Amino acid sequence: MKRFLAFSVLAATIVASCATTGTPGASGTPAASGSATGAHPRIGLVTDVGGLNDKSFNSLADKGRKDAESQLIVTTSVTESKQQADYVPNLTKYAQDKYDLVIGVGFLMQNAIWKVAKQFPNVKFAIIDGAPQDDGGKTENLPNVANLFFKEQEAGYVVGVIAATMAKNKVGAATHNTVCSMGGIPIPPVDRYIAGYQDAVKTVSPTTKILNGYSNDFVDQQKGLEVGKSHIAQGCDILFQVAGGSGLGYIQAAKAAGVYAIGVDADQSSVAPGTVITSALKKVDVAVFQTIRSIRLDTFKAGDNSFNAANDGVGFGTLDKVVPADAKAAATQALADIKSGKITPKDTVQVKP
Amino acid sequence: MTLEMLIGASVFAATLRLAAPIALAALGGVTTERSGVTNIALEGSMLVGCFFGVVAADRAHNVWIGLAIAILAGVLLAGLHAYAAIALRADQIVSGMALNILALGLTTYLDYQMYGTTGTPADLPVLPDVQLGFLKGVPYVGDAIGSQNLMVWTMGVLVVLLQLSLFRTVAGLRLRAVGEHPRAAETVGIDVRRIRYAAVLASGALAALGGAYLSLGVAHSFTDGMTGGRGFIGLAAMIFGRWTPVGALAASLIFGYGNALSTSLQGASIGDVKVPVQLLGTLPYILTILAVAGFVGRSRPPAADGLPYETEGHA
Amino acid sequence: MTQQQQPATTGPGTTIPAPSVRQLTFQWAGGPAIPVLSVVIALLLGAVFVLLSGNDPVAAYAALVQGAFGTPYDLTETLVAAIPLVLTGLAVAIAFRTGLFNIGAQGQLLVGALAAGWAGAQFASWPGIVLMPTVIVFGVAGGAFYGGIVGFLKAVRGVNEVITTIMLNYTIVFVMHWLLQAGPMSAPNALGTPASTPIGAGARLPVIIPNELVLFSRLHAGIILAALAVVVFWFVLWRTPLGYRLRAVGLGAHAAAQAGIDPARHMVLVMAIAGGFAGLGGMIEVSGIFGRVYDGFSSSYGFDAIAVALLGKNSPLGIVFAALLFGAFVHGGAYMQSHAGISSNLVAIIQAFVLFVIAAEALVRSLTRRRGARKPVEAIA
Repeated sequence: MKRFLAFSVLAATIVASCATTGTPGASGTPAASGSATGAHPRIGLVTDVGGLNDKSFNSLADKGRKDAESQLIVTTSVTESKQQADYVPNLTKYAQDKYDLVIGVGFLMQNAIWKVAKQFPNVKFAIIDGAPQDDGGKTENLPNVANLFFKEQEAGYVVGVIAATMAKNKVGAATHNTVCSMGGIPIPPVDRYIAGYQDAVKTVSPTTKILNGYSNDFVDQQKGLEVGKSHIAQGCDILFQVAGGSGLGYIQAAKAAGVYAIGVDADQSSVAPGTVITSALKKVDVAVFQTIRSIRLDTFKAGDNSFNAANDGVGFGTLDKVVPADAKAAATQALADIKSGKITPKDTVQVKP
Repeated sequence: MTLEMLIGASVFAATLRLAAPIALAALGGVTTERSGVTNIALEGSMLVGCFFGVVAADRAHNVWIGLAIAILAGVLLAGLHAYAAIALRADQIVSGMALNILALGLTTYLDYQMYGTTGTPADLPVLPDVQLGFLKGVPYVGDAIGSQNLMVWTMGVLVVLLQLSLFRTVAGLRLRAVGEHPRAAETVGIDVRRIRYAAVLASGALAALGGAYLSLGVAHSFTDGMTGGRGFIGLAAMIFGRWTPVGALAASLIFGYGNALSTSLQGASIGDVKVPVQLLGTLPYILTILAVAGFVGRSRPPAADGLPYETEGHA
Repeated sequence: MTQQQQPATTGPGTTIPAPSVRQLTFQWAGGPAIPVLSVVIALLLGAVFVLLSGNDPVAAYAALVQGAFGTPYDLTETLVAAIPLVLTGLAVAIAFRTGLFNIGAQGQLLVGALAAGWAGAQFASWPGIVLMPTVIVFGVAGGAFYGGIVGFLKAVRGVNEVITTIMLNYTIVFVMHWLLQAGPMSAPNALGTPASTPIGAGARLPVIIPNELVLFSRLHAGIILAALAVVVFWFVLWRTPLGYRLRAVGLGAHAAAQAGIDPARHMVLVMAIAGGFAGLGGMIEVSGIFGRVYDGFSSSYGFDAIAVALLGKNSPLGIVFAALLFGAFVHGGAYMQSHAGISSNLVAIIQAFVLFVIAAEALVRSLTRRRGARKPVEAIA
């Protein structure tokens, strides 16, 4: 009968907790509920699977959230989704708690955002890299959802200009007139970077050889390293990584061989100084920050919000000292031309593995 | 598809690099299971070795200290499992799984706390490659083994050492006895518990070596969950290799080869058809299944493997 | 309790008494239903970590429990999270009962999901009364096929199932990448999302809790399917001759062979049945939650299933409770992070401690009463 006792105590604890009202008196984190129009707007961020430290979108979005918390008068909270089925409840809990803005990270959340935004029309939502998508897969813009889109191909293009200029002029260790890229898996957010990169190289230096590969992984550095070694063996001198954590291995291959690499999403110059010549920036943190600020300033814009060269949503990162002045000038000019509409980088990959 | 893509020297070199961490984990598996304890927390020991090796190498600015701390971390985690499995006679699978979850949660948490904004430092001291200058001009061999990491060579030495000690020494005989017939072993005066503890701790050390190789030898940094299941592949290699060090190495090499192919064959086509990049990823796994089904077939674990043992005096 | 009936030494003519559901529950309850002490120990260990990270443990645990059960919505979400774990738990457990270690529930679930997702889209215009059973059949068959391969290789070539299941798990992940990323199964207007064509309305499991009761609940009819699966599990193992034979094989292949049972054939059968359970789980996720197959939608159902099966001691109700525990961790853990600021990794650490302590405590006590749950990694010679 001791077991029955154990059982019933456990059950009683569960039942008792159901009766718990109010929120836990947590230290140091926003827990107050029900203040929809409080002086401190409350912002919830729901990440994709992959953790906060994914060296990619999640970490950038989190940075934007932290920047907002320190620079604007808002309180923020973050929830990491452990699997795709968690998107809806994670978004819903913030909405139920009447948060002022709920941000979802990643195109896999498109359907979840659509569902929850429709259920909570008085809560504002934002989604990075997507738009609300109904159950049939059709996009449907909603009045309370901001779709934060990025033109990765523009970022890829400007770093491609730098790579092509250096390859063409055989700058430093770039002696083989060959450039390459490695994606995680061939999905559009990855391939758009590569497409722009290849487009720039073909435009600026048509004789330069282009290689492309995939690590089939966004975490495994060893896989990235192996693809890197393979590309270097084929003569590549400038390696553009578009593979999150796995791409760090790609950069390592470049470092070991004494050639160059290009980072992605965030400024990765500190990953391997002297090796990483620049990075293709996708300013997710800026987008998140600005969207949060629009809540503060009451300038929230639903529907498509494009982050591209025209509004400094994409660009190229810190240039290593080995990058010559003409490459920098060409990239800056390319950025300006994209802004003005003179150049429209392609968004489909031309050179496959 | 060229011959170079299939068996070129660079493919061989890649095979060794990819097989090493798995082989080290598999060696750990052989050690512990030969003594009769199932330790599926090898993945966890590998991961903590990965992480704490980086932390120690960073803080001490010395890769050898890093390696030592990595081993210590792996041993500590394995020690928890040893205690649960041997002293508490707990379910070894659940204990192993719990420790894997612990290792992932702990390393991810600490990684975020310590390196969340900056990432691990770029100037991390690293495990050196062994440059065999005298092989420089030699065709194939020069490229294949001319500059492998120290850990790869260490792995090779350990395979030989373990194979010899397991099957040619008294200590090895005792270990195997404990794994096959613990009751009989105890009767002739062998301390079953002590040997099992030693074996499990050693397995933690070996797995941690594999982890340290990944972070300090290959990636020169740490990213969350970077072991990516290699500990489990090591277990499969151990079974595939019939619980012998040499067999485990062979199995790891087959797997590593498949992995190397999935890179070298990118862009290759069979006739007109290009192999999709994603399907190339299945190569190591399919290759392993075919190899086991085709050539190895049945393999028998140590008789007392995974069964908790009650020393005399207990009910 | 005197429910323990040690089986007579197996051999020709002996019978293995079939326990009732009540007995099974008591058996399980005697194990990990846990003197409250051991759970408290685990929570205390976790609390230390929470403290070290600079958070308030009491608030943390309150958030965990509140997140999992605090509101009716949370209750339904915990159930939603538990459903696939029940099915994969059954997939692992039924194999354990026969002495096989099915690490492959993960892959079997995915194959079932792919098959169900394909059928649901291919025949999208069919009415629900025809389409739903079709999709269920496809899901079960897909998983059964994938599990059957494992059993077949073991039966015919003696390949240890640990190897094949691990390898097949990874294999299907990459095949799925290929199928769904602009591959043969990729939806035509996917807009870059690697996902299959949405299934027809007739294939979607309806939400069974009306909005008046619980607003926006996602609890779908899959819970009924899961409950049925649990009943089938119990029935097959303890009320059919096949189940008797399977359990006999689990207690010792030699003895079973002596009793005239062919272990090889049963390996294929049990792995197929196990795969069928997992495949059903995959189908339920596609039909009840997503409406299509998203690349990578299942990250750890199959893996957690191993712990679920073992914690539940491979018994039907034990698995249900263990799955609920895990579901509570999933859903409550998210709340712990969002509202108490506890890192999701701390949640994982606490979960690991709970598992660890349960494992240690439960089996120390039940060592002498172990029955049916065979140790893994043991080839049936």
